[in-house]
Parts: sequence; structure tokens; C-alpha cells
Amino acid sequence: MKDKISLPMPGLFPVILMFLALWLALPLTGFAAEKATLPAGKFKGIDQQAQSLKQDVMELNRDLLALEEELLFPASTQVAVFLSMDIGNLFDLDAVEVKLDDKVVAHYLYTQREIEALRRGGVHRVYLGNLRTGKHELVAFFTGKGPHSRDYRRGTTLEFDKQTGPKYIELQIKDATRNLQPEFRVKEWQ
Amino acid sequence: MRGISPMNKKRFAVFSAVLCACVLVTTGAQGSTRPGESREIKDPHYGEVLFHFYQQQYFSAITNLMTSRQFQRISHHGNEAELLLGGMYLSYGLHIQAGEIFQRLIDAGAPAHVRDRAWFYLAKVRYQRGYQNEAEEAISRIRDALPGELEEERQLLQAQLLMERQDYREAAQVLSRMRGDSVWAQYGRYNLGVAQIKAGESDAGAALLEEVGHKAATGEELKSLKDKANVALGYTYLRDGAPARAQARLEQVRLDGLLSNKALLGMGWAFSAQDQHERSLVPWTELYKRNVIDSTVQESLLAVPYALARAGAYRQSVQHYENAIEVYTNEMGRIDDSIAAIRSGRMISGILRQDTENEMGWFWRMREIPDAPESRYLAHLMATHDFQEALKNYRDLRFLTLNLDEWAGNMGVYGDMLATRRLAYAQRLPKVLQDERSLNFAELSTRRNRLTAELARVENDNDVMALANDKERQLMARLGRADETLKRLAGRVDVSDARDRHRLLSGLLFSDVAFDYSPRLWQVKKALKELDQNLAETGVRREALMRAHVEAPRAFEDFAARIARLRARISQLQDRIRAMASTHARYLEELAVTELVAQKERMALYLTQARFAVAQMYDEASNAGGELR
Repeated sequence: MKDKISLPMPGLFPVILMFLALWLALPLTGFAAEKATLPAGKFKGIDQQAQSLKQDVMELNRDLLALEEELLFPASTQVAVFLSMDIGNLFDLDAVEVKLDDKVVAHYLYTQREIEALRRGGVHRVYLGNLRTGKHELVAFFTGKGPHSRDYRRGTTLEFDKQTGPKYIELQIKDATRNLQPEFRVKEWQ
Repeated sequence: MRGISPMNKKRFAVFSAVLCACVLVTTGAQGSTRPGESREIKDPHYGEVLFHFYQQQYFSAITNLMTSRQFQRISHHGNEAELLLGGMYLSYGLHIQAGEIFQRLIDAGAPAHVRDRAWFYLAKVRYQRGYQNEAEEAISRIRDALPGELEEERQLLQAQLLMERQDYREAAQVLSRMRGDSVWAQYGRYNLGVAQIKAGESDAGAALLEEVGHKAATGEELKSLKDKANVALGYTYLRDGAPARAQARLEQVRLDGLLSNKALLGMGWAFSAQDQHERSLVPWTELYKRNVIDSTVQESLLAVPYALARAGAYRQSVQHYENAIEVYTNEMGRIDDSIAAIRSGRMISGILRQDTENEMGWFWRMREIPDAPESRYLAHLMATHDFQEALKNYRDLRFLTLNLDEWAGNMGVYGDMLATRRLAYAQRLPKVLQDERSLNFAELSTRRNRLTAELARVENDNDVMALANDKERQLMARLGRADETLKRLAGRVDVSDARDRHRLLSGLLFSDVAFDYSPRLWQVKKALKELDQNLAETGVRREALMRAHVEAPRAFEDFAARIARLRARISQLQDRIRAMASTHARYLEELAVTELVAQKERMALYLTQARFAVAQMYDEASNAGGELR
């Protein structure tokens, strides 16, 4: 056998060129990624159709939610109870219980993500239901941790008159800076 | 630009918050209250929208906002709500709709910094979704420098857009304005260097890459970028016939980094090109032991026997070639199996099986490569933009399918509920109407009028005794009877004493009643007022009843018609979603199969080379009349 067998360089140039091609196809930014191998316009086409479809479904959801509300909670009997939190440093809310005319209508345990949303100005609709016109009583109990991480349970009451329009009531948790204690108020929206 | 009013200032503070939120969400940042976020909620339903928004439940937030806007109960937050909707559309990937809203609000007089930021985010989203021209249009509208790192990010995006138009000179100018030590600038230089090499301007491109490759790097991101620059340089120098320079750059790449395989392969070729075949075996043998799914490892299956042959170890070389032939054949079989699996739809279901989030949205990313045989070959593809975006759309469509399936079920329930209400109404109506008739509201009003007239007479006549109570009336009756008796006895017996007593008692009774006259008159008037109120309430309820009697059947009809229309829309959209999901699935499968076919073709090329090398060595050995050493 010969001392030297002359072999073709296996894949050397194809490989280098392949890697270069691959490399050069990679724009790197914090927000851009690589492009896949199908024609660029193809995704754009189906993406536009998908966007239009998503928009249609959202509009349908709007109409469905409106129907649901009008059917299940007509304005003449509707009552909604909301909960909001202003700052909320003096009280770590765990749960709220709402009684209407001495009947528990809502008991809600909050997740940390929900508390965060409340602290940032979100308002949670704790209850949506129906009530006859006339006088009613709402009692809300808040449980959680107060100042110095002490267990805290406080209640607040509101007597209200339900007229023929929808009734919105907001339970407010506020930090009272003068005595460094949480405050619990109830607001009737007009 | 137009000046802005304080009202506008406040509105655009929320605009900034929405834009901030978009960025915070994109970067996955968490935190408490954001500066500039409005706490003042003037409509509780708007607060409810924010409650969903802050939890990144964009679909719920958007639909809630749209519904509340339809009921006109977030009127105090009109513009903010519009702005929020635009922000959420953006978060949701609906950049066309978001762009229209932003444009409208910007035209209404946004301050410069807010306007510029809005254009930047629009440009970014458009670029990410492949809308090159629209992204350029948006970025061209930014007038002033953006705050902090955003400006560098903007410059990088602008340079990127220029590079894609192959305007490297302008891209270089944009990048030259960036701070040399910033991460964004490094990325920019790297991208520009690569783009220039691609365009044939090797020297200029290599100079930029050298800059990045030589820079001291701290942190994984910069170290990784430095590795990329050195690998790109190494391969460029190899291509240009400068293996020593290639070796010098490739030696700088970390051995435990993501690019170490590519560096090892290149390093072997650099030695080989300098006729140092035994040295080339060092990196290639290291690479040979690694996972064969990597194309560089596949390449090393050929490279090692090549180096062995060049070093004179032919027997070993042939053994390695034969091993390579076996591995390639097996891998090609697996790729065929993977293509079949992808065609059966297994890939997408595998990816989405690990998806536990129940909201849709543009910020979703595939976190892990699914544990499936075909995934081994598709890791690179799955990280590409088109694949990720199409997958997001597919995932969104799946979410919308579930959403509409639930609504379709609810529509059935609502239809039944309506039918039950109709039945109950029809059953109760006769009794309610009978009760109403027996109440005889007109007679009640007449009686009330009589009472009012009587009270007026009492007051006018000062008829004190008309207000006597029951006991007093009994006493009056007794006194009346006594008076009758006294009249009968008069003239027959002496009744003067008795008449005096009767007079006294009558006077006392009158005096008692007269004493209480005013409070009694007040009481009667009060009672009459309450009666009026009760009658008025009864009148209102009666009217409501009469109205309901007329309107309820119409309302039932209206609800039934709405339910039917909505059912039809649900069904129509379900069909469209199914078709669109199928289009996306096919698109993703096509991407995957195209990738696998390319890999298979590459493997086939390697296989041919391996077979050819083996045949050639046996031929040459046979021709030489000897055996392989």
C-alpha cells in the first residue's frame, strides 16, 4: 500500500460555508431572533388573518358578556360589590367575606398576584348579583395581617337603598397615616 | 406640535404607565406600584379592567373594557381606557389595531417623550412580527433621544433595519453614535460586522468582530457575545485561507460555552489547514464524544477519520468511517420517523402539553423544548422567530377555541333559562293580573281623596271632636245616651244635679280632646302623607307591572333573537378558528419538515463522503496490493 492515500477533504469547505451562512443569517439583538427557512411573506399573510380573527372573537366576547349581564343581572336588580386598596402597606389582605341581608354571598381568598394588582390600582369585583328594590344591609369582613404582622379581622357595614337602577358598592381598604392603622370604608357609587 | 392641557398631561401619564407596563411585561419584571400609575379610579368598572391588566390577563381585560364601554360605565376614563386598550392590543400582538389607537391619541397631542416612546414600541413589535417597512415608518417618527437604555435599544433597532436593507454605511454611522461599552452597542457591532462580511466587505466586518472578540467581557450575555464574535471570525479566516488567525480567534472561545462545539470543529480545521493533522485530532476527538444530534458532532464523525488517514492510521480511519456510516444511516432513519411524527401532529401537541397558563398573549414564550424524539433535531428551529410567532398564534387560537366552546355551552343554558322564564311568566301572569285587579287601585285613590277632603273640613270647621279617639268616642256615646235619659226624665224628677254633672263631664271630655287637637291633627296629616307615599309606590309598581306586561314578551323575543344571532356567530368563528389553527399547524409542520429535510440532506452528503472515503481507501490499498495499516 502507498504511504499516503489522497483523501478528499471531507466536508471542509461545505462545512465552513455552511457555518458561515448560518452565522451570517443570525441577527442578534435583544428583541430579534433568527429567521426560519420558509418564504418571509408566508407567515405575514397568515399572521394578518389570525389578527383579524382574534379581533372578531374579542368583539364577539364583548357582545356575549353584555348579553350575559343583561340576562342574568338586569340593571333594575343588579348589585355589584367591588374591593379596592389604597397603598395597602398597613394591611396584608388574605380574604374578604360579604354578607347581604345576613346571607353570605361572597367569600374570596386573594393570591399574591391579585394583591399586587389591587395595590397598583386595580379594583376587584367581589360579587355580582340581584336584589329587589328597597332597603338592604351589607356587612363585609376583612381578614389578614395588620401592623406588626398581627392577625386582623375587621368588619364594616352599610345600609343602603336599592333603587331601580344598578347599585355599585365599593369596599375600600386605606392606610390611615394619622394613627398608622388600616381603615375599612364602604362607598356607594351613584 | 400642539400644546397640551393639564387634562392631556394626566391622560398621558397613564399612557406612559401603559407603555411602561408593556416594557415591564416584556422583560418579565415584577414589582409594586409603578411611578406614574394613576390611583384615582372614577368608575369602578375601569378599576376592574386594571385588576385584570395588572395580572397580565389581557384577554379578560380587553373584553371587560369593551363591555363596560358598551354599557357606558367607564365614561370618566374615556381616553385612558382607549389608551389602555391600545397598550393591551400591543401586548396581545394586535399591533395594527394598537397602531391605529396610538396614532389617534398621538395626533390628539401627546407630549414628545410619550409620543417617541409609543413609536418605539410600535416599531419594535412590528419588527418582531416581520413588518419591516411599517417598523421603519414607526422608527422614523421618533424625534428626540429616548430615556436611558431605550435610546441604545432604539439605535440598535434602527441599525438592524438599515442592515436588513443592506445600508451598512448608514448602519455603521448609527452604531458609531452608541456608547462603546454598552451591551446594545456590542450587539450592534457584532451584527454590523456579520452583515458586512455577508455583503463581501470582509475587512471592515472582521475589524468590527475583532473589536467585540477582544473586549473584556463580564456577565454571561457579553461572554456569549464575545464567543460568537470569535467563532464568526474563526470561520471567516478559515474561509479566507488564514488558518493561523482562525486558530487564534477560536482558542478564545470558552470550552464550556454554548459555542464550544463550533469552536472545536473550527479549531480542528485550522490545524488541519496548517497540515497539523495529529493536533487537529485533539479538538475533533473531544467533539466526537459529544451528542451526535449536533451538526458539528456529525461533522466530527468525518473529520476524525480524515485526520487519522492524513496521519497515516488508515485502519483506524476506516473503522471510524464505518462507524460514521452507521451513525448517519441510523440518524437518517430517525429523521424519517420524526417527519412522520410531525406530519401526524405530534410535535405541536407535545409543545403545548407543557403550557399551563390559561391566558393568551404576545409575551408568551415556549420555555422548554418538548421531550420528544423529533425535538432533538428542531431545537434551533424552535428558537426562530417565525416558529415562535406562529406557535403563539396557534396557542392563542387554541385558547379562543376553548373560550368559544364554553360560550357555546352557555348559550344552551341561557336558551333554556329564557324558556323557563317565559313559562314562569305565562303561568304567573294571570294571578298577578287578578291580584292587581282585586286591589282596585282606582277605589283606593278615591278613598284617599275623601279622607283628604274630610280632614280639610275638620280643620276648616275646627271640628275638635272629629279627632276623638275610640275611648273618647265611647265616652261621647255614653254622654249622649245620658243626655237622652236626662231629657226623658226632665219634668218628672229633679235632674238638675245630674245635668250639671253631665255638663261637667262633657266639658272635661271636650277639653281633653281639644287639648290634643293640634298633635292629633299633625298625626292625621302625617298618616295621610304616608298613605300618599304608599299609594305613589303602589302606582309605580303597578305601572312597572303594566309595562312589564307589555314589554316582557318583547324582551323575551329580543333575548331569544340575540341568543340565536350570537350562537350563529360563535359557530361561524369556531369554523374560522379551526381552519386558521389548521393553517398554522400546517405552517409549523412545514417549517419543521423543511428543517428536517435539510438536515437529512446534509447527513446524506456526509454519508456519501464517508462511503466514498472508505471505498477509496480500500481501492488504493488494493491497487497497492497490500492491506490497510
